[in-house]
Amino acid sequence: MSLLLQSIVLGVLLGGLYALLAAGLTLYFGVMRVVMIAHSAFLILAAYLAWWFSTETGIDPLVSLVATVPLFFLVGVGMQRLLIARLRPATMTMMSVLLTFAIALTIEGLLGYVFTGTQRRVRLSYGGGDFEVLGANIAVVKLIAFGLAAASLLALFLVLTRTKFGQALRATIQHPEAARLVGINTERIAGYGFGIGLATAAVGGTALSLDSTIYPSLHWHWIGPLMAIIVVGGLGSIPGAAIAAMVLGLGQSLLQIPLGTTWAQTFFYVALFLTLMLRPQGFFGGRLAQRF
Amino acid sequence: MPSASDTVRAPRAGLATALKAVGLLALVVAVVTFPMLAANPFILSVGVVIMSYAVLATSWNFVGGFTGYMSLGHASYSGLGGYATGLLVIHTGINPWLALLAGGLLVAVVAVPVGIASLRVRGASFVIVSIALVLIMLLVFQSWSELTGGSNGLRVPRPFGPDVLRPEQHERFFYIHAGLLAVALLLWWVIDRSRFGIGLKAIREDEDKAQALGVPTFSYKLVAFVISAFFTALGGGLYALWFGFLDPIFQFSILVGAYMVLMSLLGGIRSLFGPLLGAVIVGYALEFFKAEYGDTQFHLVALGLLLGIVVLFMPDGIIPALTGLVKRFTPQASSIREVTQAELAEQRRLGQAGEEPPGGPGDTARNVAEGARS
Repeated sequence: MSLLLQSIVLGVLLGGLYALLAAGLTLYFGVMRVVMIAHSAFLILAAYLAWWFSTETGIDPLVSLVATVPLFFLVGVGMQRLLIARLRPATMTMMSVLLTFAIALTIEGLLGYVFTGTQRRVRLSYGGGDFEVLGANIAVVKLIAFGLAAASLLALFLVLTRTKFGQALRATIQHPEAARLVGINTERIAGYGFGIGLATAAVGGTALSLDSTIYPSLHWHWIGPLMAIIVVGGLGSIPGAAIAAMVLGLGQSLLQIPLGTTWAQTFFYVALFLTLMLRPQGFFGGRLAQRF
Repeated sequence: MPSASDTVRAPRAGLATALKAVGLLALVVAVVTFPMLAANPFILSVGVVIMSYAVLATSWNFVGGFTGYMSLGHASYSGLGGYATGLLVIHTGINPWLALLAGGLLVAVVAVPVGIASLRVRGASFVIVSIALVLIMLLVFQSWSELTGGSNGLRVPRPFGPDVLRPEQHERFFYIHAGLLAVALLLWWVIDRSRFGIGLKAIREDEDKAQALGVPTFSYKLVAFVISAFFTALGGGLYALWFGFLDPIFQFSILVGAYMVLMSLLGGIRSLFGPLLGAVIVGYALEFFKAEYGDTQFHLVALGLLLGIVVLFMPDGIIPALTGLVKRFTPQASSIREVTQAELAEQRRLGQAGEEPPGGPGDTARNVAEGARS
């Protein structure tokens, strides 16, 4: 019983981080129809920056967010403006995959070059701390990571639903031509959407650095599940991505009990294949998802 | 039926054919004589590796070039082909060449459900599935160590007896790879000229229009995909027989898939020999870097930057860029896009004066494809 509860708690905590990152991926896809393979590479980059910051200065890695979030936002805007927007619209989906794949490889290579392939881990005074709730053991760092992800997701939600900018962004996602007709500068909005997406990677990476051992090729372990999540949720739907992230994170965590950690990872891919077989547009995707 | 692209071609066709024949002959001679000219067994083994890349890239191009669907995960099929061949040889003891063929067919069967899952919707899901498949295969083949040897790897028996020495092995495998490459190229050429190929290229240019014109897009894509997986698996199996050792990390590496894409894209995915040219360039560069600098992280950066540059500045590849350059100096090139509205109207008028009505559905599809090729 306590094992089950433990798995559920861990699943929810993990699902929160997945949800934030999948929301970022969904934003890129929404504004530009881009499948951003480099998302998880930026995630690992942020984790490395947090680790580097904390080992150099001895300050808590969370503080690095102050620098990495704006930095990643600017990088995202720059990337959309200078690289993605240059691609031909007709082959945008395919070529952008290759381009972001190339960026992911470059980041992985540079990380390995600068920080070597050694596994790194942030040392924290509260790193080993945990507490018990109803027999389930919760590590403090995992809770902080979840809190960070949940707060960012909430902020993202509020921005998207309550602000004028959020309305413009959603309009751009739903129908770019119509958005242009009502006077929205969709190109600028797409740039900002990209920036926000990359900012989620900064937040996620910092959260990841708290309780994970990091190494340059780690991003491949993240991109697969994240891709599965956005397809299951329906490409382009942020609530769909968040719900799918929670369900799949929970499922993975629960399946670890009978199957072990390695085989439990296959759950994401099984879900991906089943979704594409039964409901290719995903479970929450609208009109947009059906065409991609 | 007259189409705008037919009319301007005729005069220089004879010369072009002769040039093509000479080029093809030179290529064949170069491939046949390479093992004799190779200075030492190492150079010969590099030749085999490049040939293997050429087979893989050309196989990739069945789906990437014709339909425009870029698979980043073709390493799954080469890896599966390698393991299928190796395991069949080890466990059933059948003739290795039979095992190779059986392995290829097995992978083709596996590719059917994968294709159904990933091709029903458009490109994005296809790419996602292709990457996911490599990751899942890596996971399975590392974990399932009773069958695959896990991370310790799998030793595949050589098809030739111990009396055949290493250089001799390299030479034989070089020619076998070349043979497989020739078959793949021939099939690509045949498809390129067929109604099936025109349908595939119409999908690449505009899938909605192709569908509206009655191209059975889903089944066409699926067939191209399965053919591609079959040849990729043969390439992987052949590599397994030559190299004699399989490790999941290298077989199901996302990098191998990326090499195939880079090679094809660099050479030109719309040309028959594009992937071969790309394989020679990239394969040689890879081996050169490995020999000079060893395995550092630097090759990842180089690969990433090169891929990025090709995608941004040269998405059509070297061959179209070169032929475009040559065409500048020849009289009026033949492309539908260079026919003005007035000329087209004139042709239509003449066409109507003759009995055939201009522009049926088949005609439009061909024009789309022709326009795309040039």
